Amino acid sequence: MKRYALRQLVQLAVVVVGISMLAFAILHVIGDPVLLLLPQNAGKEEYERYHKLLGLDKPLYVQYWKFASRAVQGDFGKSWYTNTPAFKLVVERMPPTLYLTTAGLGMALAIALPLGILAALKRHSLVDNLCTVSAVAGQAMPIFWLGIMLIIIFAVRLKMLPASGYGTWQHFLMPAFTLGAFLAPITMRLVRSGVIEVMSTDYIKTARAKGLAEWMVVAKHAFRNACIPVITVLGLQFGQLLGGAVVTETVFAWPGVATLTVDSIRNQDFPVVQCAVVLLALIIVTINFVVDMVVGYIDPRIRVGG
Amino acid sequence: MSALQAGEVVLEGAGGTLVNSDAGRRSLRRLWRLKWGLGAALVLLLIVAVTLAAPWLAPFSPVEVDIRHRLGPPAWMEGGTTEHWLGTDQIGRDLLSRMIYGGRVSLLIGVTAVAISSTIGVLLGLAAGYFGAKIDWIIMTLINVMLTFPFVLLALAVIAVLGPSLTNMIFVLGVAGWPIYARVIRAETMALREREFVVAGRALGMSHARIIFGQILPNLISAITVVATLQIAQVIILESFLSFLGLGVQPPTPAWGNMLGEGRVYMLNSWWIAAFPGAAIFVTTLVINLMGNALRDWLDPHMKL
Amino acid sequence: MMRRLLAIVFAALLLPAVTSTWPADAQTKDDTVVYALQSDVDTWDPPNSVLREAIILGYNVFDHLAARDLKTRKVGPGLATSWKPLDDTTWEVKLRQGVKFHDGSPFTAKDVKATFDRVLDPAKKMTARGNHAKIKSVEVVDDHTVRFKTDGPYPLFAERLTALVMQSDKVIREKGDEWMQEHPIGTGPYKLVKWDRKQEHLLVRNDDYWGPKPAFKYVRIRIIPEQATQIAELVSGGVDIIKAVPPDQMDVINKSGQARTAASPILRTAMLQLDQAARGGPNPFTDVRVRRAANLSADMDSIIKHVLNGLGDRVATAVNPMAFGWDPNVKPYKQDIAAAKKLLAEAGFPNGLDIVFNEGPPVVEPGLLQTDEAIVADMTKAGFRIKRNYIGDNTVVVARAKEGKLGPMFNWSWGYYSIFDADAILYDVFSCGQPYSYYCNKALDDLTIQGRSTLDPKKRTEIYAKAQKLLFEDAAYIYKWGLRGVWGISNRVDYEAPADEVDRMFLVTPRKK
Repeated sequence: MKRYALRQLVQLAVVVVGISMLAFAILHVIGDPVLLLLPQNAGKEEYERYHKLLGLDKPLYVQYWKFASRAVQGDFGKSWYTNTPAFKLVVERMPPTLYLTTAGLGMALAIALPLGILAALKRHSLVDNLCTVSAVAGQAMPIFWLGIMLIIIFAVRLKMLPASGYGTWQHFLMPAFTLGAFLAPITMRLVRSGVIEVMSTDYIKTARAKGLAEWMVVAKHAFRNACIPVITVLGLQFGQLLGGAVVTETVFAWPGVATLTVDSIRNQDFPVVQCAVVLLALIIVTINFVVDMVVGYIDPRIRVGG
Repeated sequence: MSALQAGEVVLEGAGGTLVNSDAGRRSLRRLWRLKWGLGAALVLLLIVAVTLAAPWLAPFSPVEVDIRHRLGPPAWMEGGTTEHWLGTDQIGRDLLSRMIYGGRVSLLIGVTAVAISSTIGVLLGLAAGYFGAKIDWIIMTLINVMLTFPFVLLALAVIAVLGPSLTNMIFVLGVAGWPIYARVIRAETMALREREFVVAGRALGMSHARIIFGQILPNLISAITVVATLQIAQVIILESFLSFLGLGVQPPTPAWGNMLGEGRVYMLNSWWIAAFPGAAIFVTTLVINLMGNALRDWLDPHMKL
Repeated sequence: MMRRLLAIVFAALLLPAVTSTWPADAQTKDDTVVYALQSDVDTWDPPNSVLREAIILGYNVFDHLAARDLKTRKVGPGLATSWKPLDDTTWEVKLRQGVKFHDGSPFTAKDVKATFDRVLDPAKKMTARGNHAKIKSVEVVDDHTVRFKTDGPYPLFAERLTALVMQSDKVIREKGDEWMQEHPIGTGPYKLVKWDRKQEHLLVRNDDYWGPKPAFKYVRIRIIPEQATQIAELVSGGVDIIKAVPPDQMDVINKSGQARTAASPILRTAMLQLDQAARGGPNPFTDVRVRRAANLSADMDSIIKHVLNGLGDRVATAVNPMAFGWDPNVKPYKQDIAAAKKLLAEAGFPNGLDIVFNEGPPVVEPGLLQTDEAIVADMTKAGFRIKRNYIGDNTVVVARAKEGKLGPMFNWSWGYYSIFDADAILYDVFSCGQPYSYYCNKALDDLTIQGRSTLDPKKRTEIYAKAQKLLFEDAAYIYKWGLRGVWGISNRVDYEAPADEVDRMFLVTPRKK
């Protein structure tokens, strides 16, 4: 178990470093923030001075090294747009996004688990296809479309929920559902195939032979084993959620880090973008790491297989 | 790989898997069970046919502006005319024509992007699965980095540099989408690597290339097809994402994604501008998914997807 | 094992509910007015920001030396009670007595000096510096009298007194610039309580305010980027005032029964800049015939009527009817496609020509994309083959405009910095060499300089009349219209749409039942 953990940790570190390098490279190719930062009528010498000041004249790898060595200490520099420490800005807005994505994942599971199991048990029937349709519906509807529809129905027409903003649990419902609906299809598909596979194993046949009621068979045994592939993929899906999070956050005026990142890219506010990307990556790989540990614990085969 | 079903006789040879014709009847029965998928496939075919026939079917040019008739509702609503069956958008362009032409663009993007990402992904997946060790490690790390790196960021950054255009979008979608294929192909390749016909091939002195492309790849076609089909739907959704951020297909070229984006402010009153492209994306993605599921069940029910 | 996993999942679902220790607001709905913005300010130090949002928020927490009367649009007393020119280059300003800053310290002449010195200091590179550069020095005469020395005659002096917030000398000296970005200490009707970046601001009434007390005790400024969401919030009671409502959405608000719209002409004037000065290199618009053809091809009146639902005021040049110096005798171009084609042929383009059109996002001009489409369609009829290049980010647009990279044609609008004077646009948008100007004409520059070098209003009116005639005949840019701002206002409050685009929360009152 220890060796497995160590291997995964190394992978984790490599991935984070890789991401920070990628982000760094891309940002420095995008454009010249100096032009945005300088006031009107700035001359060429001003430009050069700023360039030097921000360290943009040194070769890329030197800049990256400076960035990396400071980043490890938690210093990601100051936002070029607002002059506050980038780390503070990002960390302030991390919790809403994390809550949103977790709640979204929770919603996705709530939708996908029952639908997936039902679909697996009644393969190829009308029920199976209806379940697929419902699950896919969430993803097929572009997030902002679904989000605005929900706002219109629940906030404008029915006046049951607040249209946007952050605060109480009522504020959570629609955004979490929107994001969850986006994740549901892939999760459902995994649950379905996981359950199907498990249902045909000897293990299940034995349980049936033992005379256990069908629902018990499903609930206790099939379900458990189907969870493994689900958990694995969910861990990775967390990363892809950022795209969905950006749209959800914009539509619901959610003060999260996804919108901060996108805004910062538009403003070419490098320190904030780098900080956000690295911290997010760290969180995502940590989650994946935990997931891998959990799964490795349950199923020793995976530890060895790698 | 296909597991043995009771009653099915499977022959394996150096080329892969052959199915005994005696199981032909069983295949037909399986086909019937997949009627949903077939139905979905038919609908998809219809959609594709309509979009391909755009120049003949569309009543107007998709970019023809008619300011005086802007925001016209669909024909069956009060204020609508049969001249514009689905109504007009915010500058008077016929929605029906834009839907048909837009379908072309969205489907084109879907298919091309998937072609690119599947090619990259399959090649990398094959390499990782077959050669293992260091190469596998590098590619797996790459996959993990790509999957963890938010697609949105990548798209934003790249398109911000290169400028928003149809080609750049396809490029971004294609390049960002390969990890999914790579992972699946890698797993399948690893499993296949140990099969007798591969081992035999090596013993006979076949080159790596011949084994990979001649023996392993043909067995992966089903997996690739299923993933690719499902990914087309995914790419169409991503296109609307990018349009939301202003990075998608640029006006006035219609694409379902950017029509949806343009129409989103109007959802409260002139809802048809966003509703119809939204419905188009919904239906198309749905049938692609149903079809893909059926395809998977038919070709390889035990695929972990 | 499974149980543990399930527990984690459920915990994840419940976590937000449990940890939502949202500050139980002391405020109730009745004493709070909620205002929505599409994007947040970058700083609470108004002279240090280019954003209109910063100006608006600044008005609520700070005061200016002069204040604009919204009904007459004339400049009246604010923190200054009177001002007069002592000679061509000296102005004496008398200050109001008994005013205190939010931290208790009294407002006196040395605060005025400190504010101006800070903004005018070239080393600090404040954004507002250019607006007040005509002021050479500020002298404290006594606690309530200040003398300004200007660099030559400065007819805009009084107008510009409405454009700089007064900040505390004590704060500037003791706290420094960085602190001031997040902690505004002003003399205004509201104080800042908290700021959650990009989420919301909370203001509380200043009970020691020298002027009329605001009706609402609290102001919540919510940042809601998505316009559809803003409208949804307005009609479902979550927000009281929104601005920049697209004309197409007005009926949604008016039919809701919960809110209504109010429109007002505003100073902001829209145009399509043409690169006559060839900042981006040689292009067809350096030829006056091509420019005239462009102006003759678009049917602006029809666009205003059909696309903007009548919410626009056609202008002959970019000078707004509300600005001092506007000449009603210059009539705008009327659409004439045949004449346009003829001019193009004379200019050497009998078969039309290709133009790249750089478009920005509709941040300050609702309905921009639709009107652009209509204009492009019209211009195409005259023979212009337009290739549109959409830039989705306003910051990028502004930056490129500064660098001279947006030619040969791009959409632009100008808010005059809320100064109701022709000079406020002629200088920045039409003068040779200015960062946001793509026009270069010495005759015009001469007129502009003359206009700002005399204090005599009659002379200035004549000079500006000549300038507008020149701009019209030379078809410097494609002229569009003066914008009308549209506000969405909840039926639980009374509020009037402001002509200077500044939303003063202290003027909002609850509606009488």
